[in-house]
Amino acid sequence: MAYAYLFKYIIIGDTGVGKSCLLLQFTDKRFQPVHDLTIGVEFGARMITIDGKQIKLQIWDTAGQESFRSITRSYYRGAAGALLVYDITRRDTFNHLTTWLEDARQHSNSNMVIMLIGNKSDLESRREVKKEEGEAFAREHGLIFMETSAKTASNVEEAFINTAKEIYEKIQEGVFDINNEANGIKIGPQHAATNATHAGSLFLRLAAQTGPLAHSLTLSSCPAET
Amino acid sequence: MSDKDDIETPVVTEAAPILEDENCEPAKNSGSLDLSAKPESKSEPVVSTRKRPEFKHSSDLETSEVLPVQASEAAGKEAVSKDVPQTGWGYWGSWGKSLLSSASATVATVGQGISNVIERAETSLGIPSPSDISTEVQYAAGETNAKESENSSPVSGPFGVFSTISTAVQSTGKSVISGGLDALEFIGKKTMDVIAEGDPGFKRTKGLMNRTSTLSQVLREVKEKEELWTSNEVTIETDKKTHYGLLFDEFQGLSHLEALEMLSRESEIKVKSILNSLSGEELETLKLELEQLKEAFSLAEFCEEEEEETKGDEDFTKEITELFSQLHVSSKPEKLARARNTAYEWISTSLAKPLEKKEEGEKQLEAEEAEQISNSSIEDIHAFAIRSLAELTACSIELFHKIAALVLHGRKQEVSAIERSRALSQMTVLLCKELSSLSKEFTTCLTTAGASNSASYIQDAFQLLLPVLEISLIENKTELPEA
Repeated sequence: MAYAYLFKYIIIGDTGVGKSCLLLQFTDKRFQPVHDLTIGVEFGARMITIDGKQIKLQIWDTAGQESFRSITRSYYRGAAGALLVYDITRRDTFNHLTTWLEDARQHSNSNMVIMLIGNKSDLESRREVKKEEGEAFAREHGLIFMETSAKTASNVEEAFINTAKEIYEKIQEGVFDINNEANGIKIGPQHAATNATHAGSLFLRLAAQTGPLAHSLTLSSCPAET
Repeated sequence: MSDKDDIETPVVTEAAPILEDENCEPAKNSGSLDLSAKPESKSEPVVSTRKRPEFKHSSDLETSEVLPVQASEAAGKEAVSKDVPQTGWGYWGSWGKSLLSSASATVATVGQGISNVIERAETSLGIPSPSDISTEVQYAAGETNAKESENSSPVSGPFGVFSTISTAVQSTGKSVISGGLDALEFIGKKTMDVIAEGDPGFKRTKGLMNRTSTLSQVLREVKEKEELWTSNEVTIETDKKTHYGLLFDEFQGLSHLEALEMLSRESEIKVKSILNSLSGEELETLKLELEQLKEAFSLAEFCEEEEEETKGDEDFTKEITELFSQLHVSSKPEKLARARNTAYEWISTSLAKPLEKKEEGEKQLEAEEAEQISNSSIEDIHAFAIRSLAELTACSIELFHKIAALVLHGRKQEVSAIERSRALSQMTVLLCKELSSLSKEFTTCLTTAGASNSASYIQDAFQLLLPVLEISLIENKTELPEA
């Protein structure tokens, strides 16, 4: 299927936080409680629509194990978006976020959009990390934030799609040089000739109206969040 | 200039009458189903399981200056619809820098081999698509121009394919030849011709490993070209199902290749910096060891075991598992074996009937007879064949990628890098052979191009593992300093 853009995503975070499950839920709409450990990196792809444009997400689901860290870093290059995942029922996975973030910033391009995800929101009774803590961390480091459940699929779509929206917005603003493949964005076959002239899009206008608070607005208006 | 012309011109002009003949009487070429039959003329025959021939720097490669002229001539001749939008081609130059390098030009040709060539052969048969062709001219011309400034490369490849096919299209005109059998016979023959005559990739693929471009990048571009086709030219339903490049990507072959390339590149950089930091005896010792590793990392077995016959189902699984265990990495080639066995199961159940029928049809060789064969079943086989090859190749690349990750991941090694090299060489040979024999099983509708391309991909993935093993050798030395 033809697409206007292709975005490369990476999913990073401690082992067992549900990275592969998030991917599976997003690409296959199913949940698999028992999962093999990811070796190196696995892949998934899905088409989404933003602003009437088909966008293909090419997702690199990296291994979370510490011993794979030096290898998975190699995969960061050329990612336009990152989902940084922790487990709300395990504080240590939240504590490691700074390290992950440093790693990600160091090994990928500076414009990469990072979405912080507190996964396993269905396990409210075992929660160790408050939602406010996640929000605070995200605010402090300039990330987007969401709590998700790969099991119930709550917010999973939104997490992937909102990241794409942010990337798309950055393209429209000219922050991303779409001709530089190192940014993790590729122009699709159908779109190549026209993309440069179509900067003033509906989405951009909407984004301009709502301003920088667009994301928090999106977040709080999500029914699953309230 | 003139001697270069002599070399280049036949592709454009002399090929035309031959192709026209074939187009007029495709049904009479009963022998054309024997896909191993070599076109008597010109180029080297394509033997799928062989190690790919070496890149030769002969004068016939230095033809770039001639091409712009031909491109414009051809464009004038062939471009039926000149108003085809430039979409899709404009970006080749921009983020496909790789395409401007000579290495990628040859790679692109290889990549086009299975799907594009077959599809263009199909197109030339049934539904000629002028925009495809004119787009191709634009591509060829654009690439040539870009190339000219670099003054470096053989573009005769893509262009040769184009001109051969477009001539066929021209002569076929808009007539639609019905009957799946005819089509398949013709595709087989046509593809062989096209590959042998117009695809220098088979002679020049050495350029693949030139790191100025990456294989996955080029393959991705080829695939995107296919995506463009499918979005613009969806005339036949089966079209979508038979694009090798798209399917290869669907099975995540491209992604694994890209990931493997990343690991390979990083290992290569590390090896280089380590070599730079060493001196004297230490450096010499290491160089020697790396040299030995490289030697073990060869595909010499290809020629020696050429005659070995196809093995049974269990043998492949057993063999690949055994080789895998020699690598001492904590992973198993189950996915690959499963994909492979599925393909063979499908063949044994579904392919038997159409095959018999087809042989009959061959003997009788009448259009009526051909028409009795269900069109869809042949298309199914075709689609399944392409799909199986794409899947198996993707699984193989995935396997190599996982091996790279696990080799780099393993802290201590129970097995030397050289031993791993040997096992990997054997595995590469085994996989290429397996793909070749699978494609032989599909001879009704597949050309050897399939196996040949798949083999190219696998062998390239194999080469990407060398730096990985080099770094693992070095790291192992530093961790266990007994030597």
